[in-house]
Amino acid sequence: MLRVAGLTRRFGDQLALDDVTFDVVPGRMTGFVGANGAGKTTTMRIILGVLAANSGQVQWQGEQLTPEVRRDFGYMPEERGLYPKMKIRDQLVFFGRLHGLDPDRAAERTDKLLERLGLAERATDVLEALSLGNQQRVQIAAALVHEPIALVLDEPFSGLDPLAVDAMVDLLREEVTPEVPVLFSSHQLDLVERLCDDLVVLSRGKVVAAGPVAQLAAGPTTTYRLVVDGDAGWLRDVRGIRVRDVAGGTALFDVEEGALEQKILQEAITRGPVLEFGPERVALSDVFREATR
Amino acid sequence: MNALDRPWALIAEREISTKLRDKTFIGSTLVMLFIVMVAVILPAILAGKGGADKIAVIDDGGSKVVQQASTTVGGDGYEITRAADRPAAEKLVTDGDVKAALLPGDDGYVVVGKDHVDTGIESGLREAAATVGMETNASKAGLTPSQLHSGTKVELQLLDPGPLPELVSQFVNIGLALVFYMTALGFGMMIAQSVVQEKESRVVEILAAAVPIRSLLWGKVLGNTVLALSQIVVIAAASLIGLLATDQADVLEVVAPVAGWFVVFFVLGFVALAGLWAVAGSLATRQEDLGSTTLPGQMILMIPFFFSVFAGSSAKTVASFVPIASSMSMPGRMLTEDVPVWQPLVAIAILLAATVLIVRLGARLYERTLLQTGRRLGYREALALENS
Repeated sequence: MLRVAGLTRRFGDQLALDDVTFDVVPGRMTGFVGANGAGKTTTMRIILGVLAANSGQVQWQGEQLTPEVRRDFGYMPEERGLYPKMKIRDQLVFFGRLHGLDPDRAAERTDKLLERLGLAERATDVLEALSLGNQQRVQIAAALVHEPIALVLDEPFSGLDPLAVDAMVDLLREEVTPEVPVLFSSHQLDLVERLCDDLVVLSRGKVVAAGPVAQLAAGPTTTYRLVVDGDAGWLRDVRGIRVRDVAGGTALFDVEEGALEQKILQEAITRGPVLEFGPERVALSDVFREATR
Repeated sequence: MNALDRPWALIAEREISTKLRDKTFIGSTLVMLFIVMVAVILPAILAGKGGADKIAVIDDGGSKVVQQASTTVGGDGYEITRAADRPAAEKLVTDGDVKAALLPGDDGYVVVGKDHVDTGIESGLREAAATVGMETNASKAGLTPSQLHSGTKVELQLLDPGPLPELVSQFVNIGLALVFYMTALGFGMMIAQSVVQEKESRVVEILAAAVPIRSLLWGKVLGNTVLALSQIVVIAAASLIGLLATDQADVLEVVAPVAGWFVVFFVLGFVALAGLWAVAGSLATRQEDLGSTTLPGQMILMIPFFFSVFAGSSAKTVASFVPIASSMSMPGRMLTEDVPVWQPLVAIAILLAATVLIVRLGARLYERTLLQTGRRLGYREALALENS
């Protein structure tokens, strides 16, 4: 498990990170969200050792992360960068070896990834000859080529069209084994909601919410939504609930006593067809707005 | 889990293979090679080496004089071209087929040239004609040639001979300093550029996450030192072939003993500077910044270069102990003067200490500034920076 423990970082007088603590659990994708300037990139750069923290540490399997272990991490920085004039195959082999693969294994992995990304015919092209989308593909391949033990991706999907995002997500799912913790930052909340298992919300250098997406988004809700084929006006006469809104067959209500919602569902079924019933989910963007307010 | 013990070796390897595929680098090496070949071969051609000068004669007397001149002039001597008569000999001269013609005159001989006669040929013929004439006159008077010449011989003795003639020394001094200057400057700019390219393309962040920043520096310095030395070896080999092909092998006897010293001074000086050039690259954020960040490096090279070329001999002796300047002046001094062996040894010790200091300072600055991509930094500012 990758743990960020009490990271604090100042730039001059400005406190960029204030006691940031969270876990990135293996086999789960952890989304890292926050407004611009909240400290996401700073946190990620500290995890990768590119920047030092003023206090706190990054831990791997319960111990302080060493440079040797860190070399097996995969990293995609916010500001994309590879060698513009180097052939993409040579480039990926180089990065594989830089992370400790032997030359044969690095070549093997490179060919597999290029094949997988549909770039096999472009293997001898220099990077700058590729379209931006393809350059982004090579960039993610550079983070994956050495079979990383943990992945840190800073805005990996920014600037990609939805199809390219899907292709990239498939690749990640395929490449990332259940032992690998993945942390990725994004400001595309719908994407985070769709992809992530866990969520860390950062605001002005502080963690303001953290936990499984399902929990954060659903919350300990007491609000339910019922849609019936007919009129739902009868709900107004039920005791123990507070009706928020009824419009034709659609109703939104709060349950004041536990388990009462099940009785209401049974009642609704006896009255006619039920089209929809369930707890009212809060959109992640609402959680985000709430948390970063 | 996988481990790579020598990330700097990989960095150096990439540095070398990238340069070897870089058309600009290959092109400039070829141009340099061409210039060196021309510089080696051209003087030989101009000096007319590799063939005897032809002198036209029309009678046996002339032949005898030219033969005599040929034995005293040394080198390849002169080649006799026999012409049928005076006009034929003059035509050979005007056509440029012979350097000069030696024709009978009213009282002795006339040397005939086109627009001028080479002074070497003129004096050689003059002396030979006198010798031949006097020997003939002497034997008529009953003297043998040895009796005639006894007591007239003049020998040359130098009390403080240098290994090379003075003019040649000058050229060798400038040439050796120039080789270091050009190589250190050329590769220095390449190092700075390759560092700033990595900053500009942001690839540096991935590199820094994967390997220690010092390894990046060592790899760059090592790769470029290997490249620079190989370039010099290739050029040295080319000039060697040129010297052998043009019969100038005698120069080698003088140069060979100093070659090893040159390599030591070159490598130490180059490595010290390479560290500084890498810092010049890491202070910049864009290619355009290099003009100002590389200025100190250029000065450190240029001042000792002009000093070692134009300074007087005692100043040059001092310069040959000053780090970096010593790389440019000590090998030249050793070639052209008799330098006691302790001098290069002391100079190397000083240079080595300076190189270690400069490289350590360079590594510190490099570590602090490499990931600062916001704006260009100054040297003073970089020294004041804390580790990020």
